[in-house]
Amino acid sequence: MSNPADSLRKDLSPAEFQRFRDWIHHHSGIYLEESKVDSLRISLVTRATRLGFLEYDEYFDVLSRDEDEFKELMNLVTINETSFFRFPAQFDALRDQVIPEILEHKPRASRSFRVWSAGCSTGEEPYTVSMSLLDSVLESRGVRPEILGTDVSTQALDRARAATYPAKSLASLSQNVVQRWFEPVKGGHRPVKRVRDLVSFSYHNLIKEPYPILFTGNWDIVFCRNVTIYFRPDSTRRVVNNFYESLNPGGYLFIGHSETLTSISDRFEPVEIGGVFLYRKPIPKSEGIFAGTSFAKPVRPERRRTVDLSRGSRSDTPSRTTSADSGASAPRKRIPARPTPSVAPAPATPEAALEIDAIVRQAHVLMEQGEPMKARTQAELALAKDPRHIGALLARAHANADIGDFAAAVSDANEALRVNPLLASARYILGIIYLRQEDAQRALNEFKRTIYIDPEFVLAHFNVANLYRAQGSMDDACREYENALRALYLSPEGEWTAFLGGFKPDLLAKTCERSLIECRKGTTRR
Amino acid sequence: MANARILAVDDSPTILEMIKAILLSGGYEVITATDGAEALETARAEMPDLILLDVMLPKLDGYRVCRLLKFDQKYKGIPIIMLTAKTEEQAMATGIRTGANQYLTKPIEPERLLSAVAEELAKVQG
Repeated sequence: MSNPADSLRKDLSPAEFQRFRDWIHHHSGIYLEESKVDSLRISLVTRATRLGFLEYDEYFDVLSRDEDEFKELMNLVTINETSFFRFPAQFDALRDQVIPEILEHKPRASRSFRVWSAGCSTGEEPYTVSMSLLDSVLESRGVRPEILGTDVSTQALDRARAATYPAKSLASLSQNVVQRWFEPVKGGHRPVKRVRDLVSFSYHNLIKEPYPILFTGNWDIVFCRNVTIYFRPDSTRRVVNNFYESLNPGGYLFIGHSETLTSISDRFEPVEIGGVFLYRKPIPKSEGIFAGTSFAKPVRPERRRTVDLSRGSRSDTPSRTTSADSGASAPRKRIPARPTPSVAPAPATPEAALEIDAIVRQAHVLMEQGEPMKARTQAELALAKDPRHIGALLARAHANADIGDFAAAVSDANEALRVNPLLASARYILGIIYLRQEDAQRALNEFKRTIYIDPEFVLAHFNVANLYRAQGSMDDACREYENALRALYLSPEGEWTAFLGGFKPDLLAKTCERSLIECRKGTTRR
Repeated sequence: MANARILAVDDSPTILEMIKAILLSGGYEVITATDGAEALETARAEMPDLILLDVMLPKLDGYRVCRLLKFDQKYKGIPIIMLTAKTEEQAMATGIRTGANQYLTKPIEPERLLSAVAEELAKVQG
């Protein structure tokens, strides 16, 4: 992280917010409500930092004189769009896995199923949830679902209630979906009555506590996508905590596909269903009637993601003890962070361990110098002494990927992941290998997993964006370039920089910005 | 020669994107290849005005690609700039022996890359 004294303050005072808001309102007609302060702050920080300003006032001067800069900023400010079936895999997981699982564990007497769409904006998300629920097993089990959409924007809520959407809102949907779930009305289309009937709307501010009684319990599912991107970490923590309290045991929290609760909350169990990462509120042991039933398997414990590549697996030992002893939450069938070593033991003495770490550091330096053959030899020296040394496995995986020995690279990366499933770098290396093998889908999955482990792994966002762009998914591409820029700001010296191949982070930032502009124009120029 | 066409070769898609961005910002047209064999094939088929060639490439390494092109009467006129992380004199000597016009060591500065490109293109024109 850069020294705070040398960088722009991350807090935007109310006066500064008003100044920017008024300017934007006057010049674009877009009125940013108080809820957008975080969104505006992130956009301002991104642009002002890019231009090297240390004060918001200085940036304001440029903004007020330079029309191009104003457009740049507005592009960032107005990205929080929503659409029907945004990230469809989440709705597939909801319909096919999550709902049946929750029903299985619900008391028989309970005939309700409640979903809260928090921050629902103009209603696309709750209506999509409604369609998914109508397609699920709920009806055949005689369960009547209800969905509540809440937002802080009363204007958005009015539009959500009116439920009339212009043609462009439906552009990404298949003809089949449109015919099945929508009816034409004056000014566009609206969801059919049985979809609308399940949904109601209410004003609610997520960061204003305490929550009204209406929101404080008995939810089976909470949707709150992209909130962690827009709120500051302390706010996000409070919001997520409130969701936790509001959910039934066994209930699920859906967040944005590129978000993670790592470092936000360790109360939820992370669960992967068909490539979608979700968070489940654990069921306390006393409610053990659910034991042995078909719970989706939690994917991993929540742990900090940054890994010192030069350090061996031994150095994880204390944290393993900590996580085993913490006992903070309910029973989980978790994959242990470090399975019992099955190969050679770690070095006997601390001196031997330090020696291996030094060899591994050298291997990483050689990689940075563009010497993968030498790096591989060095990594092998270390692995001869400690076959499960994470840093050495990663160095050899990276070297083999560079040399083009993909099978060996995959094997090393997977071995490192067996030692610690939370290695963003190992996931990233797998992504790179699949990318070079032109297996875009698998590459995309690995980059998404990288982001899940380390949301600030800039290059993973960058590659996801490039892949979306190549597919022609321009909205998704734009979002990921923006995420890359945000991550670059938050983590300019992260683990990811080991993969820059001699280029500077600054150049990556410029590349992202350029690509972002091109994607906004809808061009796929390669 | 602002709209010159440049072949950029690197096996890392990430790095290729960055190189492309630099060249596009210089107003050049860019074509790409991700391994040595593809580089050779593309160079022969497309006759680019200049080639930016990474050293570490699968199939054929950058030095060999460079040598093959430079020893061919038909293609020897295409300026080649090698991109290398190597700083040792030996590597530099190899670069020159293979006939590369210039080599740039990483980290690559966009301005340095663009000025090297402009310089080599000017030589061809002049």
